[in-house]
Amino acid sequence: MEIRTTLFNEIAEKEIQNPYARAFLKVLPVAIAVRRKAVMDSFPDPNAAQACGQAIRAEVVARLPELLEEFEKNALARGAKVLWARDAGEANEMVLSIAKERNVTYVTKGKSMVTEEIGLNDALAESGIEPFETDLGEFIAQQLKRPPFHIVGPAINVPVEEVCDLFMEKAGMEKTTTDPVKLGYAARLFLRDKFHHVSLGVTGVNMAVAETGTIINLENEGNIRFNKSSPGTQVSIMSLEKVVPTMEDAMHLTRLLSRNCTGQKISAYVSMDSGPKKPGEIDGPEELFIIIVDNGRSEIYGDSVAREALRCIRCGGCLNICPVYAKIGGYPYGWAYSGPMGQVLTPLLLGLDRTQDLYRACTLCGACRDVCPAGVDHPLMFLYYRSKDVEEDRGLRGKKRPWKESRFFGLWSRAVTHSVLWNLGVRLVRPLVNRYSHNGVITTMGGFFKGWFRTRNLPPIANKTFHERWSGLRRKATGRQSGENR
Amino acid sequence: MEQRAREEILGRLRGIPKRAVDHRPDMPPLRERSLDHEEMIATFIEELTLEEGVVYRVRDGREAVARLTEIAAEEGLQRVMISTDEIVASLDLPAWGREQGIAVLTPWDFGDRDSFRDAVFDEVEAGITGADYAVAESGTLVIAHDTNQPRLISLAPIMHIALVPATRMVPTYEQAVEEIYGDTKDIPSHVTFTTGPSMTADIKGKPFKGMHGPRRLMVILIG
Repeated sequence: MEIRTTLFNEIAEKEIQNPYARAFLKVLPVAIAVRRKAVMDSFPDPNAAQACGQAIRAEVVARLPELLEEFEKNALARGAKVLWARDAGEANEMVLSIAKERNVTYVTKGKSMVTEEIGLNDALAESGIEPFETDLGEFIAQQLKRPPFHIVGPAINVPVEEVCDLFMEKAGMEKTTTDPVKLGYAARLFLRDKFHHVSLGVTGVNMAVAETGTIINLENEGNIRFNKSSPGTQVSIMSLEKVVPTMEDAMHLTRLLSRNCTGQKISAYVSMDSGPKKPGEIDGPEELFIIIVDNGRSEIYGDSVAREALRCIRCGGCLNICPVYAKIGGYPYGWAYSGPMGQVLTPLLLGLDRTQDLYRACTLCGACRDVCPAGVDHPLMFLYYRSKDVEEDRGLRGKKRPWKESRFFGLWSRAVTHSVLWNLGVRLVRPLVNRYSHNGVITTMGGFFKGWFRTRNLPPIANKTFHERWSGLRRKATGRQSGENR
Repeated sequence: MEQRAREEILGRLRGIPKRAVDHRPDMPPLRERSLDHEEMIATFIEELTLEEGVVYRVRDGREAVARLTEIAAEEGLQRVMISTDEIVASLDLPAWGREQGIAVLTPWDFGDRDSFRDAVFDEVEAGITGADYAVAESGTLVIAHDTNQPRLISLAPIMHIALVPATRMVPTYEQAVEEIYGDTKDIPSHVTFTTGPSMTADIKGKPFKGMHGPRRLMVILIG
């Protein structure tokens, strides 16, 4: 997947004009957010339920290394093979070598953000092994060579006419149709044939339970279950923060993940694997490989603020509530992760220097933080990244701002931290600002500031500021005193 | 090389000073925990019906088979695959099949994965299985898979019919999971939670049933 995080502003401006994106964004994220609220009310105390989820994820981050070791130990005891990959290249190499050793010509894949992060599909295709995305939205996005538009509905913005053309060309569909249901069934037939004969299935992992060595996946379509049932080899890839302490924790997170992701109580299917199939079972994988991917996370872990980004469970709740995402959709974020959670994670994985617009494209309204079941504080993270960027932090790869901006804010920070300069500045600026005042209010100003005034007014600067009145009062008071003492 | 990667990753993670973990905040128990047996059943039926599952309630095994006969007639079933778990086995469906003129296949009819796959993907119109638990909270079936309960039977055919004794009803997921995973020595290789037919809304946000998994789910609740 091409990384286009440096083109955020450009792509955002384009997407704001896109009628399909706008039509979708007006409807679906809002609908999911509304459903989410309703279904969270199935908890006797939704706030307590959310707090509990946040506590689970806080514990995961605090105890990450020991939980990973416990998970590995228990997974190995069940007969799974657990592999560790330091970066994308190592992870892809592992999958390739597993596939080549078994003479695999194609794989079927469930939706997995980490596999998009590491670019697994490209690595497979380059080695002559055809990867088939089997989640309907991912299948469409893959065939159209587009990044995901929304974490849950990667191709949900694509017009049906385009899907129809695509399926006729690439999925063996014979009759034209724009009915989403008929299109879905066409994809079903095409991919069913792949499931029938596949020998290597690839999945992601929603949760890796340390207590039992079990990996858990949530889905609605059934494609992940096929990848876990039909082929003789299963490869499940997890970023290392997906571990959870106990089965009980996993059940609670299953409830929160489903409610935040799609507004459901639970997804249509939850599947749990503890090792490969047992002897005598006729289906299921003979071999289960679990690949634990680092790709920069263990380094992030060293930063006590940044590491909290590892709480994220990829529910997409933040996307559905974000006023910025609601206008621009997923493409501008330029990579596998979009919306507020993309703005939190991508800068840490790719560097603050390559993602400067991502963590600045935020009003800090905090709606994302308020719905997050994992307790990520997105606005806090963005402020942290902004300061680390300006400071040119080595670890996070901060990069100084353009010199005009740096200069301006250097002077500004001097002015606002020295009261003499501030007070002088106000006196100088007052006549310039107040000439825009009509009837006691400033409704607009020229030039650079015009945009700010489109939705706001200001009162004029007072003829005497509080400082000036205070000095005047003090002078009067001391004057009177000395007068009285005569 | 693999050991080195593991050591490097864990080394970096372990190198950070540990921080204290706050204990979990209190949470009131889920409402379903206080439901009685009949209320649980009513909730289960309501929840699963919302997801377009169909639930039939019957008194015993005999009525279950009668209901199955009706379903087979309505749907024009001619070939089905059944699992051989204890619930299905207690109903002697192979005999039922012979009476009805319906071909009843079991996984034991097949010597290997490929021939089994051919049958379950292309040659049967329904998969009939038992279920280990029925969870009232969301109308969810919990199935632990083993040699008598292959994974594909409840997944590949276009229709899934589940036979569930009402005694298997539990209020929330925790009860099922505690029993399945409690004895850590003997955990099933694969456990599935199924709540309704397969679905998606990935095209234009328009939801529909029957994406990759079954398009129809019918539950016969016995007792």
